[in-house]
This record gives sequence, C-alpha cells and structure tokens, in this order.
Amino acid sequence: MSDELIRIAGLQKSYDQHEVLHDINLSIHRGQLLGLIGPNGAGKSTLLRCLVGLVQRSGGELSLFGRDPATHSLQIRRQACYLPGETGVYHQMTGARFLKFALGFYAKQSLQLKERLLEQFQLPLNQKVRSYSAGMKQKLALIATLVPDVALYLLDEPDRGLDASVRFYLRDVLRTLKDQGKTIVLSSHHLSEVETLADRLEFLLNGRFVSNERLQRARAQLRRQPRIRLRSGHTLPDGAKLIRTEPDGILVVETDNDPMQWLQSFPQGAVASAEVGVDRLEDLYQLLLQDEVTPHCGVGDQTSAAEVAGGDA
Amino acid sequence: MIAGKTWREIRMIGLAYILILEMLAIPVLMLWPDIYADLQRSTLFRSLGVDWIKRLGSGISQRNEEVAYLNWCAVMLFFRSTNLVGTAASVLIGTGLFAREREANTLEFLLARPISRSSLLWQKFWPCAVVVTAPIFIVNATAIPWSWQLELDLPKWELFLASLHAAIFALAFLTLTMYVSIIVRVQAHVAAIVGAFAVLQIGMYLTQRIRPYSLFRLVDFDWYAPIMTGNTPAWQMFDPIRSHGFTTYLIAATVLLYLLSWRAIHRTEP
Repeated sequence: MSDELIRIAGLQKSYDQHEVLHDINLSIHRGQLLGLIGPNGAGKSTLLRCLVGLVQRSGGELSLFGRDPATHSLQIRRQACYLPGETGVYHQMTGARFLKFALGFYAKQSLQLKERLLEQFQLPLNQKVRSYSAGMKQKLALIATLVPDVALYLLDEPDRGLDASVRFYLRDVLRTLKDQGKTIVLSSHHLSEVETLADRLEFLLNGRFVSNERLQRARAQLRRQPRIRLRSGHTLPDGAKLIRTEPDGILVVETDNDPMQWLQSFPQGAVASAEVGVDRLEDLYQLLLQDEVTPHCGVGDQTSAAEVAGGDA
Repeated sequence: MIAGKTWREIRMIGLAYILILEMLAIPVLMLWPDIYADLQRSTLFRSLGVDWIKRLGSGISQRNEEVAYLNWCAVMLFFRSTNLVGTAASVLIGTGLFAREREANTLEFLLARPISRSSLLWQKFWPCAVVVTAPIFIVNATAIPWSWQLELDLPKWELFLASLHAAIFALAFLTLTMYVSIIVRVQAHVAAIVGAFAVLQIGMYLTQRIRPYSLFRLVDFDWYAPIMTGNTPAWQMFDPIRSHGFTTYLIAATVLLYLLSWRAIHRTEP
C-alpha cells in the first residue's frame, strides 16, 4: 500500500470567473504535518474544503486515501476530521451537549486526549455556548476536531482567537498526534510557530504555491530589513536605505551588510527599539506580491510594491 | 443524532402550534349551538354575491344540523385553522433548517461530519414533518370529545381523511420552505420568499377570476366539506384520473420538492 495519503495534481477551483486555486500540485505522506501559510484570500480554506469534499474542484486530480473526494467524500470524512476556518458551534447548546453531539459522529475517540484538552482548556461545559468568548468557542471546536481518532486532521487556522500560551499548548498536542502517526494539514498565520512544527511548509499566494526558492529569497531579504525606532534628535547612519516609515514611527530599512553590525554603528542611546531577523508575515506577503508583479525590482521600488499589496488586500 | 438535535430545536414551536390550533378549535366548536341558531335566522350568506362564500354559508346553515355541523368543522378546523396555522408553522420551522445553519457557520461543520448529505437532509426533514403534521391529527381528534359535549358526533374516518389531506398540504409547504432554505443563504430571505408566495396564493384565492389557479383551491371548503360529509370517499382523494385526486397532487408536489431539496443539498457549498 502506498504511503501517499493525499495527492493533488493540477488542482483548479473557480467561482464564476474568479480563479481561487490555480494548478496546485502536492503530495502528502502518512504521518506528515504540512503547514499552509498565506494571506487572507490566498485559497487556503478553499484547498482544505476541496480536500474534504465540501466544494467541488473545477479541474485537476485529487485523491485522499486513494479516493476522489468528489465521489467518495463520505468515506474520506470517516477517516478525516476537518476544523472549519469560521468557528461553527451551536450557541443554544451547552458545551457538554455540543461535544456529545459533535463527537457522536465518530466510532473511535481518543478519550485520553479529550481529558487532557478538557483539563487544559478549563471550559465551563455546563454553560450555553452563547456565553463563551471567541477563544472558548475555538477551544470547544478544537476538542470536537482533535478527539476523534482518525488518520487525517485538516485544520483551518486552528490557532484563531487563541492566546499565545494556548497556541503553544496546541502545538504540543499536534506534535503528539504527529508522533502517533497521524497526518495533519494546517493553515495558519503564525509562520514561525508552524515552521517549528511542520515537516513541510507551503506558501499559498493568489491561489498558487510559492516556490521554496522564491520564499527563501524573500525571507533572506526580510532578514536584512531591521525595524527600528529612533529617539528624537537622531538620524539614520550610512549603510542603510529607508524603505518606509510606519505610522507608529517605526523605520523599516534595508542594510547592505549584517543588520546586527549596522545597528552597533548607532551612537549609544539613539535606538529606542529594534527588531531584526523576524519574519513578519505581512512584510513577507508584500515582498512576494511585489516579486509576483515585478520579479526583478530593486530595493528602491518597495513603495510601489507596498501599494500593490495594499491594493490587493 | 441530527434528528434529535432538530427535534430539540423545534419541539417548543410544535407545542405552541398544538396550543394555537386547539385554542382556535375549542371556541368555534363550543359556540356552535348559538352560531347555528343565528345562521337559521340570518339570510346574510344567501344574499352575498360571491359564489364560494354563498356555498359555504349554505353548507353551514343547512336544516340538518348534523350535516351543517360537519360543514362547520370543514370550514373552521380545516379551511381556516390548518390552512393558515399549518402553513405558518411550516414556513416558521422550514426557514431555519439550512439557512440558519449557514448563517451560524454550522452548515460547514455539519457537512464535514461523516454523514451523507442524503441522511443529513432526511434527519432534518422528518422531525419537522412530524411536528408540522402530527398536531393536525391530534387537535382534530380532540374535536370528537368536544363535539360530544354538544351531543354531536364527528365521523372518525372522514375526520382522519380530511386531516390527512390537510397534513399533506402542510407537508408540501414545509418541503417547499426547506428547498428554498437550501438554495437561499439568508434565513430572512427564505421567510420573505415563501411568505410572499403564500400571501400571493391567498390573494389569488380571494380574487374570483384567478381563484382556480390558487394552491389554496386544493384545500378549501369545496374540498373538505365533501370529505367530512362522506361524499368524497378515500379513493377519490387519491385518484387523479377518475376523480379530482387533489391529495395525490399534493403528495406528488411534496415528493418533487423533496427530490429538488436532495439535489440542492448535494450541490450546496458552505
């Protein structure tokens, strides 16, 4: 039996004239964790919905567990659990009743994981879901998705509305599931967190996967762009070019050399704060979009690229 | 499981529906002796120029009180109560079936569960069908003991047949509403569309020239009174070739609308 659990070849999805997914090719093996990264509207949710058979593809080939979701959606859904991007929980139910309802569809459940999640999340299960905060509803939906003992978990932004400590805990849970041989596909906006967890990372932009080479090039460029806030009376020294000034006074610059060395050239007390080597997704989106519009533009073209990105968003 | 959830969501509407039907039934049954006495003295109905109201008046003011009472029940229990309240209950229950799930983002949750869409549709439909139709049989059955208070008898079989016809009409409206609830994304729009359709049908019924084209022509006094008085045997209700067969038309409409709903739920995307 092949170890390939998901195979996507030339997948296309259009709504009327608008193409949401374009020529997607992907292969995911059992026990892998794939991270899907991309801005809003990139097509991540549509891709996950195609996988679980909730939407029909417009073209290409798709198979999960060796079956086509267009014709064998039910068989696939028996082996896969999907967490929608928009939290869907019944407000009129209590948390306990919702869990009983949601988990009742699955023959096998991991009771150990259920107890672990319930203990960690501390949800008021006897209260109606309508009294829950957005984060609590997401936790409830997560329990309903992760507790069924299935082979594949498709998670659309599972960290939505969760604070950092819960996100880190969720990361541990997903790692445990992966260690148990489960296959996981998750979309997220938290690049660095997904990166530490995922076996593979795919960046989706305007319905297309961004090549790894292009992604690494953009990230390398970002690492040369420190974000600094100067104290009043100080100016930028030589060796860097100002890309933009953000509304909160932060200067985004591009250095010719190592940004850390460049920062050391400032007089003492000139820098109020500095951020170096952090992959900010918004910046990454802008760079990749710029790359898409003008593949070989230089640093000086950054403003126009930002406008392009802003216009698209 | 989904059937249980649907039942919990609509059971209070079902209870309210029974109470409304019963509260509409009791006064008109209990006041019958006074009303009948007034009808015997009045020539109001006979002097009206509208044919169907004249027929209705003539039916409920007959010299034979037992026949007049059966006609009165045909008017009040069926033509008035089940047509209007049954239609309203069908629309109220049906609008939320899928459109509300979509608005609350729970349709995607449901569609992603390991359950076929055919089963999802059926498990949502049958509890609603029970809640819409069972009260019609229950409330009309209670008319029998109430009638004993007036020392009048209601024929059980005929009452059942009339209730069956009324229930199938309500079911057809429920299925129509469910279909619209699948293809229209907003619950308020579903209610507006089906509500406007029902009002249009009532308007057509009240307009002499286009009255035969109204759906309510299938469930009016001219249809219920012969059933209640035993002049329309069961076979005539179901035989569209040798008789009117209106009940069969309603069943066919219900089945057609269910099949359309089945096709729509298989094509729907969250």
